[in-house]
Amino acid sequence: MNSVGEECTELKRDYDMCFNRWFAEKFLKGDRSGDPCTEVFKKYQLCVQKAIKDKDIPIDGVEFMGPNKEKTDR
Amino acid sequence: MKIWSTEHIFSYPWETVIKAAMRKYPNPMNPSVVGVDVLDRNLDTHGRLHSHRLLSTEWGLPSIVRAILGTSRTLTYIKEHSIVDPEEKKMELCSTNITLTNLVSVDERLVYQPHPENPDVTVLTQEAIITVKGVSLSSYLEGLMALTMSTNARKGWDAIEWIIKNSERENVSLCDLY
Repeated sequence: MNSVGEECTELKRDYDMCFNRWFAEKFLKGDRSGDPCTEVFKKYQLCVQKAIKDKDIPIDGVEFMGPNKEKTDR
Repeated sequence: MKIWSTEHIFSYPWETVIKAAMRKYPNPMNPSVVGVDVLDRNLDTHGRLHSHRLLSTEWGLPSIVRAILGTSRTLTYIKEHSIVDPEEKKMELCSTNITLTNLVSVDERLVYQPHPENPDVTVLTQEAIITVKGVSLSSYLEGLMALTMSTNARKGWDAIEWIIKNSERENVSLCDLY
């Protein structure tokens, strides 16, 4: 599965592997010991936040396609 | 406004279904989801895991709906918030579109829980509120979209089953599947 920012896909895969392992082997079994994925998540997040900004994805608000706005394909 | 809801039963225990649901994409049944990212993840004070994700999808709206809405754009973004409570054995997902919001809003809620009478089986209750705005024939369009959601829901259930079976067949844990 790709990231929304194509350049982040490798980092996403690294993070997903770490998370999925932690989720199945620790979290669901009630193990509350620390999250081993914080470092890889930080790197992944830096990339994603930049991609979101570059693509103008309105994660905090809403995007309208009003009559004056040109309909562009994303 | 159109309200659509359904219930589905998976013949697997809750933990198995949840592990598959957390890694639902990619799968052959939902090719329209083209990108998934985690925006934030944290544990709350009750030990529940919150995830905020961004999904990009090729909507697959019927072309007549696109024609009436007047959009040639097919890529849409969806924001999803999920909460996994491992003690209560409940996973809840809420999602909403964050683009095209002045034309249509689709708010979906999914809840996965063990069946109250059979803990080896999982119940998924799924509901959506669909609102088409600002154009005529809105209730007709809402009806069409509810049908699309129905079809997509079925694909979603097949996708979860596919992910579970693929891990069983290859004797691979769900962790290593992707």
